[in-house]
Amino acid sequence: MTMDRRGFVRGMCLGGLATFALPAVRFAQVPGDGRLVFLLLRGGVDGLAALVPAHDPAYARARRGLALPDEALTDLDGRFALGPGLEPLAQLWNRDELLAVHALAIPYRSRSHFDSQAVLETGLDVPSGAADGWLNRLLGVMGGEARGVAVAAGMPRSLTGPASVSTWSPTRLGSVGGAYLDRLALLYRRDRELHDRFEAALQMKELAGDEGDAMGSRGTGLAARYAAVMDATARFLAQSDGPNVAAVEFSGWDTHAAQGGADGPLARRLGGLAQALADFPERMGDRWRDTTVVVMTEFGRTVAVNGSGGTDHGTGGAAFVLGPRVRRSMVVADWPGLADGELFEGRDVRPTLDTRALLKGVLAGTFDLTAGQADRVFPESGGVQGRYDLMI
Amino acid sequence: MEAPVNPQTRAVRALNRFGLGARAGEASTLGDPKGWLLDQLEDPPPSVVGDVPDEDEVWVRIGAFRERQRARDREGAQEAGRRMRELYRREARLLLDTRVTTERPFVERLVAFWSNHLCISVGATAVVAPLAGLYERQAVRPHVLGRFEEMVLASVRHPAMLVYLDNFRSIGPDSAAARLVRQNRNRELGLNENYARELLELHTLGLDGGYGQGDVEELARLLTGWTVPSLLPWRRAQLERMGRDGSGARGPGSQRGPGRGDGDESEPGFAFLSVLHDPGEKAVLAGRYGEGQAEGERAIRDLCRHPATADFVAGKLARHFLSEEPAARDVEALASVFRATGGDLSAVAARLVELETAWDPDTRLFRTPQDWLVAVLRAVHHDEAPDRATGVLRQLRHTVWAPDAPRGYPDGARSWADPDSLMNRAELARSLAGQAPRDDLRPERLLSVLELSGDDPLPALVHDETIGARERLALVLGGPAFQWR
Repeated sequence: MTMDRRGFVRGMCLGGLATFALPAVRFAQVPGDGRLVFLLLRGGVDGLAALVPAHDPAYARARRGLALPDEALTDLDGRFALGPGLEPLAQLWNRDELLAVHALAIPYRSRSHFDSQAVLETGLDVPSGAADGWLNRLLGVMGGEARGVAVAAGMPRSLTGPASVSTWSPTRLGSVGGAYLDRLALLYRRDRELHDRFEAALQMKELAGDEGDAMGSRGTGLAARYAAVMDATARFLAQSDGPNVAAVEFSGWDTHAAQGGADGPLARRLGGLAQALADFPERMGDRWRDTTVVVMTEFGRTVAVNGSGGTDHGTGGAAFVLGPRVRRSMVVADWPGLADGELFEGRDVRPTLDTRALLKGVLAGTFDLTAGQADRVFPESGGVQGRYDLMI
Repeated sequence: MEAPVNPQTRAVRALNRFGLGARAGEASTLGDPKGWLLDQLEDPPPSVVGDVPDEDEVWVRIGAFRERQRARDREGAQEAGRRMRELYRREARLLLDTRVTTERPFVERLVAFWSNHLCISVGATAVVAPLAGLYERQAVRPHVLGRFEEMVLASVRHPAMLVYLDNFRSIGPDSAAARLVRQNRNRELGLNENYARELLELHTLGLDGGYGQGDVEELARLLTGWTVPSLLPWRRAQLERMGRDGSGARGPGSQRGPGRGDGDESEPGFAFLSVLHDPGEKAVLAGRYGEGQAEGERAIRDLCRHPATADFVAGKLARHFLSEEPAARDVEALASVFRATGGDLSAVAARLVELETAWDPDTRLFRTPQDWLVAVLRAVHHDEAPDRATGVLRQLRHTVWAPDAPRGYPDGARSWADPDSLMNRAELARSLAGQAPRDDLRPERLLSVLELSGDDPLPALVHDETIGARERLALVLGGPAFQWR
């Protein structure tokens, strides 16, 4: 361990509250050329604000104060439209690299963030305190060299499990020399639980190199933050010996109040996200052709606006799949409708597609998995037919 | 595990497991470790060191911010927002100073635990920031050695919580205000069920506590009217007029909450406004409730006394202080004290100390970033937190009073011991060791703050004088042993 580690103390001098910790990005390596980014939007994105069923005659009445006017929308297929902020995704749509999915839900009915995220991240059909994450299970199913690397601010549930996984974040808190790290490695070698993790951190430091230290030193706004994290993700995934799977997450989508309309807070947040996603293919370079990005959230939100100009926890929601491996751009929605009698429990979008069915299709398309392998990533899901028709 | 090298193992365990980290040499001064912990529970409620912001100042700054917002003065609002965040930074800094210097570290751990259990987050919305320190000082600290339900009720009434989980703007669909607005302006005002759901799921019964969507909505109805009038879009006179016009028979527009009460028209803080309260019967679990603030209080007390609450809270305490996967009998031991004493948190804390698991050398818990940083500062005898401490915690993803979600910050190695975080601690340890006062540069003294097994290579490294003293100090603070307690 003799590489030159040029670090520097930064952020000690960052003033104010503007920068909360960078959202997390974590990587894990599996063999093959495929690259997968699982982008989790924690908090429950309002699917009806992201992917608008403009054709639904019940839309305006059901949404009440949050119904969006046509001019705020970017039409996709004459039925559904991208909500305000998401315009940049139209580039991907026009290149046949976008699936826009609606009325999607986890297989478990709960309006708890905690339960719903647990189900989405473990890939099971009920919340389980102990279960590992489905991305980690994916590494096991793929077999081979499951070397862990990371761009991170923590380890998400989706990546926990027996396969060794790393984390990385652009945060550097001090300059450390090779001899010091060698001695620490010696100490960590005796710690059963932490040994692998410290080794992974050393590997990751090497993979990031000096330039890694400068990543993320961007602006402090939301859009800059999203861009920095997605850029770092691309940097690792694009390397030929880089990781194959990345888990990324952004929180702050729990819009109980004043979520706003065409240029409101939610639209601005979606705008930052969409721009980072639209710039991602170029950052990936040649490797983009092997890459799929899945954007998901734990649940949709109530159809009607609540008493505070926001929406409460709901059920069916929207998701997006980006990448050249999608068969063609399309809206994937067995649309249940928003008329009074059609809502789930009288308030939410009725789910018609299981998150696991979508993910199985994505995995098969990205990593050339068989249906049998995809089933193993999601235990007890044999009865859930994968959507293998969506990807090439 | 090999024989421990430190003869003061139980004292070290008391200082680290239940406290905020041993100081060099402190273990040999403790006497009876258990007694040292129990004595801490005897004193009055724990307070913050230093000069905390005045409550009036908090409201003045919030008022200035709201006024700039209403005037649509973007720049002015930004400046007012900065002045609000200043108060947050001062409070966060004083909290860290308190943790670094306290002689009752067990009680400060309890403050942190309960504050996180009933968390608010300054990341949510601008107005929470200046209220965050006030919240912990007013709603949490007075009750950490008192009764659980008093703490929960104090949090329900606190503006920080009412704002954070949106209850201040949850309006009864059949309240006088809603009916009037519907009639005059054809607009709907209604419930916001955010707080009611989290009160059930996160603060009292727990996720498996046996409630349903109907209970969430009924509890939300009960809690309508628990608000912060100065943050509502109506002036007080308008609210009172609504009370008269919408329902003349329903009495006065508001009942003052406890706390400030000098009747000033512009008075900030909590109040129960009956014009916003949903009339009629409400059913939450087995309870039936009527109208008004007292009925809401009764419902919350019932939730706090529900057997599921004891189980939920006991499990969480056990995971925090005993083991990431605590034994069922330990959880039950805590739950039964909770139930038998009506939620006496001092008695529950005392029971925790008596559980043998806490003292078992084979159990260990991973320090959260906040607790690791505080332990570092205590170990090297700092008498206050350095200026950069709050910023460092942000980078370690453990900003003071700013969890991502109402669940609060998690516990455990699974959440905090990822590779990058270990590297960040290694970097920070080196950097802090580089700034340690020269007097503190005796790294070998720091071996006394750790539980080490006989074959650990750390003592040899720490005594190796071919390595610089600051680097040896960093090896203690950044090495694996210091990450656990």
